[in-house]
Amino acid sequence: MKKFISLLFVFQLFFICLIAQTGNLPPLDKSPMDMSYYPSNYPVLKIQDKATEPLVARVIYSRPQRSGRAIFGGLVKQGEVWRLGANEATEIEFFKQVRIGGKKIKTGRYTLYAIVNDNSWTLIINKETDTWGSFKYDPKKDLLRTEVTLQKTDGLVENMSLQFEKTAVGCNLVIAWENTKVALPIIF
Amino acid sequence: MKKPQLLLPALLFLLSCNSNEEKATTPSTPTKPDSSIRSNNDASINPYAQVDISPMDMAYYPPDYPKLKMAKATTAAPLARVIYSRPHLQGRQIFHEILNYGVPWRLGANESSEIDLYKDITIQGKPIKAGRYVIYCIPQEKEWTIILNSNIDTWGLQPDPKQDIARFTAPVTTTDNSLEYFTMVFAETSKGADLLMAWDNIEVRLPVNF
Repeated sequence: MKKFISLLFVFQLFFICLIAQTGNLPPLDKSPMDMSYYPSNYPVLKIQDKATEPLVARVIYSRPQRSGRAIFGGLVKQGEVWRLGANEATEIEFFKQVRIGGKKIKTGRYTLYAIVNDNSWTLIINKETDTWGSFKYDPKKDLLRTEVTLQKTDGLVENMSLQFEKTAVGCNLVIAWENTKVALPIIF
Repeated sequence: MKKPQLLLPALLFLLSCNSNEEKATTPSTPTKPDSSIRSNNDASINPYAQVDISPMDMAYYPPDYPKLKMAKATTAAPLARVIYSRPHLQGRQIFHEILNYGVPWRLGANESSEIDLYKDITIQGKPIKAGRYVIYCIPQEKEWTIILNSNIDTWGLQPDPKQDIARFTAPVTTTDNSLEYFTMVFAETSKGADLLMAWDNIEVRLPVNF
């Protein structure tokens, strides 16, 4: 009994410490946020005076982990709108006018979603910003939808990644997770 | 007696990890590294973008604005947000193992910390126009100078006072607890909000009028 009480006490102390530790301040997100620029690593290039191209785009997204789960067809259901990340809706900002899927996109902030299918994904650029997840996704606020084909990654990607890669006509936004990647062509 | 025994392997560990502690592209900065010193080398499982050791986070005003918007609890536009990376103590003390009095600090890690203002606001009587700014500080024992700077989309901190937009002073309070991860949030007040900056046992509040 004494042992039990002391154990209880230790547990209590542990939880009190936990509460005291964070108070009502936000704990660390399980899916940490990250940011990618085009040109890649623009902030570093800028401070080193090595930026040879002007700033074009940036994405801000949270990075869910695979954690041994089946992602495509499992966690991410086919045919459903997926927020391409976690927590806050994934945001893409253009600092100059670009073209995606044959459509002009003005400078500004947008949100990014995907509908995942077997052989292709539909990528969606939507005008509703500063929102959470895709729970209140409204297709009426879509700016455009475009199809991209699936590619296989070389190895398993543990944390979902969004990265820009230079192309002859602009850049691709490369989205990779698990064993799948897609590239969204951005022309400027 | 235990400490010295641990010290040598710990030192060796740190040295061996030093080469890959941050992204390969990280420039050498004149200031001490404020990110974690422990390596998280996952290049083998993510060739696209490594997960940052000091993860990024975002805090809105009104607090939790994206969730309020999702729940249809607000239709008004957000007023402000900060985007910053969260270094952690990992056994160190904020003063003077990570920061030093009088030495500018980027209020985070990795990319320069950013404050986005969605409308014109007033801070300590100074009008600030809507827009994106870098936010950094110069910590002192009793008060911190909080600075908005226009050199956005940059890495770390290369403070150029010529690009400063405004400087404010905010008092330091100490707490009994130690907060592991550096934290910035907007805390509601009767007049608007405080931008609360907290790490270890230090809290600094900058009042903002919306």
